[in-house]
This record gives sequence, structure tokens and C-alpha cells, in this order.
Amino acid sequence: MKKKTNLQFAKALYEITKDLPKSHLPEAIKQFVLVLQKNNKLKKINYIIEEFEAYAKKQDGAKIVEIETARKLDHTVLNKLKKIFGENSEITELVNKELLGGARITVNDMIYDASLKTQLKSLRQQLIS
Amino acid sequence: MSTNSIVEELKKNIAHFQKEVEKEEAGRVVEVGDGIARISGLSKCQAGEMLEFSGDVFGLALNLEEETVGCVLLGDYEHIKEGDTVKRTNKILSVPVGDQLIGRVVNSLGMAIDGGKEIKSDKFYPIEKIAPGVMTREPVTQPVQTGIKAIDAMIPIGRGQRELIIGDRQTGKTAVAIDTIINQKGKDMICVYVAIGQKESKIARIVAKLKETGAMDYTIVVVAGASSPAALSYIAPYAGVAMAEYFMDQGKDVLCVYDDLSKQAWAYREISLLLRRPPGREAYPGDVFYLHSRLLERACRRNKESGGGSITALPIIETQASDVTAYIPTNVISITDGQIFLETDLFYRGIRPALNVGISVSRVGGAAQIKPMKKVAGKLKLAMAQFREMEAFAQFASDLDPETKKQIERGQRITELLKQPQYQPAPVEDQVVSIFAINNGYFDNVAVKDISAAEKKLNDFMNKSKRSLLDKIASGEWDEKIETELKAACSEFNK
Repeated sequence: MKKKTNLQFAKALYEITKDLPKSHLPEAIKQFVLVLQKNNKLKKINYIIEEFEAYAKKQDGAKIVEIETARKLDHTVLNKLKKIFGENSEITELVNKELLGGARITVNDMIYDASLKTQLKSLRQQLIS
Repeated sequence: MSTNSIVEELKKNIAHFQKEVEKEEAGRVVEVGDGIARISGLSKCQAGEMLEFSGDVFGLALNLEEETVGCVLLGDYEHIKEGDTVKRTNKILSVPVGDQLIGRVVNSLGMAIDGGKEIKSDKFYPIEKIAPGVMTREPVTQPVQTGIKAIDAMIPIGRGQRELIIGDRQTGKTAVAIDTIINQKGKDMICVYVAIGQKESKIARIVAKLKETGAMDYTIVVVAGASSPAALSYIAPYAGVAMAEYFMDQGKDVLCVYDDLSKQAWAYREISLLLRRPPGREAYPGDVFYLHSRLLERACRRNKESGGGSITALPIIETQASDVTAYIPTNVISITDGQIFLETDLFYRGIRPALNVGISVSRVGGAAQIKPMKKVAGKLKLAMAQFREMEAFAQFASDLDPETKKQIERGQRITELLKQPQYQPAPVEDQVVSIFAINNGYFDNVAVKDISAAEKKLNDFMNKSKRSLLDKIASGEWDEKIETELKAACSEFNK
């Protein structure tokens, strides 16, 4: 049988605790720890917690957003962007001089590329062809 | 055009340029190495899709798993790091096709590697395609003249057939294929030679030979050399057949040589094991049969209603110590319509091409022979079969009855006649004349070692003084009149 991954445990933990009343939580956690011990996964607990946090966030509709810009953004623009993606989204900002201008925003698995560099590239494509 | 109008035009073009936000799906590299990469994300990725990595390197998605996508990298991967973005292209891997590929040496992705100018084509064919179905096919009726006497007479190949060339290393497998390509000059045939896992020096030699004989004018060479990654070796035959399919769609006849498929199977095994697919017999993955069957099924002869054209496939398999019962040889033998066995013993006994005519077969080619060849080859086959039975007694020649002795002598002469040097394919009419002469005993007075010299003389004589008769034979005519004429010509020669 294939080894179970940390992510699988994280998912399992999320599923059992999702609709659980607060009073049952200690018991559920106890059982989960026993399962971990049975599978020799106790030493991996930190990784499982990490995966669990990421997975729970994803399930609750939070987005992982990465904003790449050529220059540092000021607060008003940033706040506006934050509002678009929702309060609990995890937003990281990056400054990438190579973009020249505009912004490239990665939301989960999608890239929205409105950078000057890409636009110039496609302009070049259009002019050559 | 004046400078001003150029500037105007440019300004107009730039003004019309639409600013668009590019929306792309992207994943991240989780693991990279040994020519494969694992990517997280890309939840909508298709099987066989091209993926774009940084630095213009492309990958081919092969494994679609729950959390990750496993892909092979088609190029250098030293600069790819964990965490790099990978973009989807929404394109199934395809290669450029068209007339401009003829005479070129390209890699598995259709990029020129012969130092010539870049290949620009607006037409692309996907490398994986479902083979033509039953209703679009037609029986094989036209011959592929290989120019090799033993093959054209006894193991004939038809246009649209798949004939396996199998043998140990150094038995002349490639030589048979190359001779066949050289002999296609002026026969309205386009050739695709796919070299998989071969030494680059050998490929260079072959290309030089093809150029020298003028065969490059109708040939495409697809190369995945020994130094290229396994992924390129794996896709090379599919790329080759995709290029061939373009010409078939134009109604042309194409000859595809895959040299060799055992190396492609090794490359696929390597990829499969790295992608952690379960190994089976000889560590090949479970779908290694499908790997070759889907490739060779694409060889076909299409009927007129579907556009005509044909693809003839000559796959080559290298055996280890003549073991044809290994996994890959048995698979490919069962897929193809016949096989040409080449043997080391025969090769060292001086019988070259080292064809074992006893176990070589062609399951459909007989219908594709021209009539004169069919007539003379029947007798040849019978004589060879009788000779093989008696061969063991050859050393007691003095004690044998005259009938047996005659059969053995005839057999020895035929064996000698079927020897043929490399790069010297013979036209079909010459072949018919030689075989006719030997069948009817015109060479019985020639010593066995002098047969090939006598044959050459006969062919020169016929070409000089009986050209019209040869032309009739070449066009497929055969009746009693021609036979008597031929007999008369042979007697005249013998005088």
C-alpha cells in the first residue's frame, strides 16, 4: 500500500473538525493523534499542521495572492486590491524591476498578467507577424 | 515605400494595439531532475499537453495525478528550479510539417539541426493521432521496390505495409533500410528516416551517403541521437509519422523507417520508471505494446474516397544474441505484417544482405509484386526451399544422385545471386532477368564464385541491346511472347 502523505492527514483532520461542536474537539484531536502514532507520523506533526493551515484556508475561500509590480505600491492602491480579494486572503507583495510597469497578479493557480513587459512582448509578436 | 509611410504604418499598428490582461493558468515545480518534473497546480491540464517552463523549455504532461502533474522535459533542464512557474499552453504537442522539411535533418520537435536556415511552417500536425479506421483503408496492391533482390523476390513489401527488420547488432539492418531509401529515386515516394538513440557519427555518415546518392531530395531525417534526452527519443517516431501523414494527406506515398524501436522502448521505460509507473516484464511499463501498436497502426493505405496516399513502415528492432522471444521483439513481430530476419552467421559467411529467407515472411506483399516478378519468384522460392532441405548433404556431393546434386548446385547459385553489395540497389527489371536466367539454367555452366560477374554481364548486355524488352517487364507486362523473347535473349547472351 502507498504511504499516506502529510496532505492526506491534513485533509482528514479538516474533514473531521469541520462541523464538529466545540465540546467534541478534544476527543477528536486525541483520536487523530492516536492515528498519527499508529502510522508513525508523530514526528511529522509540524508539516501536517502547516498543510492543514494551508488547506483550511483554501477550503474557506481564502486566496493566495501574489502581487508583482515594478515599483512599490502605495497604501491606497494596496488597500483597494485587498478589498477585491477578500479580507482573509494571504497577500504577498513583490517588487520586480523586470516588469517595467503595470502589475502581474497571481491568484491561486491563475496568473493575470498586465505588466508592461508582456504587453511589449505581444506588441512585438503582432508587429513581426 | 518612403520612410514617412513606414513610420505612419508603424504608428497605426501601434495605435491599434489592444492592451489586454493575459490570463494564464500556472503551476509550480515541486521536483525536477533526470529529465522529468513534477508540478503542483495546473488542475485543468490535459494529457499530452505542452507546458512552458522558464527559458523557453517545453515539457510534455504525461502523468495527471491528484495533486501533481508529472511531465518530461524536452530540452535542457539545468536552469529549472523548484518553485519555478510553469504555464499551460493549451496545445497538444505538435510538429511543423510541409514540403520545406524535405531534404532537412530535424530533431524530434521539427527544429533544423543540419545548420541550415530555420524551418518556418504555418502547418502543424499533432504527434499523437488516432490511426485511420477500417472504412478509409484499402488492400495493399502496389510494390515498394527495395532494390534488394532477395527481398523484392521472396519477401516483397507493398505500399502501406509494415515490415519489420530484425536482427542482432552489426547484421546490416540499417543498410537494408538505407538501400531501400536510395532505391526510391524517381519512384514518387517520400522517405522519412527516424534515427532513435543512434551514434551521431553514424547518422552523419548516413546523411552524407543519402546526399551523395541524391536521396536527400525526397527524404526527411528525424534525429534523436544518443546524447539527446529520453523524452526526445520517445517522441521521435511519432514526430516522424506526423510529418509523413502530411504527405499522405496530399495523396502521396511515404516510406517511414524507424531505426530503431528497441531504443525507443528503452527511452520510454526510462521515462515510465522515473514517473513511477509500475514496471512489468523486463521492467517495461504495461503499455509498451500500445507504444508500438499505435505508432505502426498509422501506417496504412487509404482508399481514393478518403484522399488516397499511403505510409509504409519499416521498423527496425535490434535483438540481443538472436533472442527473438524477448518482450519487445515478440510484440513488434505480432504487430507488423511480416519480418525480415538478418543473422550474424550468414553475415560472416559472406551472405550479404544476411537475410534468412527461411524464416523471413511478408504477409501481404505477394499481392503487391509486379506480374513478371511474381512469375519468376515462385520458382525461385521453391528452389530455395528444396536447397535448404538438401543443404546438409552438400558435402557428400560425389555420392548423391544426379537429381539431388542438381538441386544443390542450383541452390548454391541462387544464394550467390542473391548476394548484393551495399548501396547498389538493382532495378526490378534487372532482377527479373537475373532470376529468370538462373531459374532456366542459363547460369548452370558458370562457376558458383563467378555468378555475380556473369549476372553483371547479362544485365549490361540486356540494358544495351534489349532495352525495349526490359521496359515492358518494368511496366508489369508478362505473357508467353515476352517469356520466349527473354529465353532467346538469354541464349544469345550465352553464346
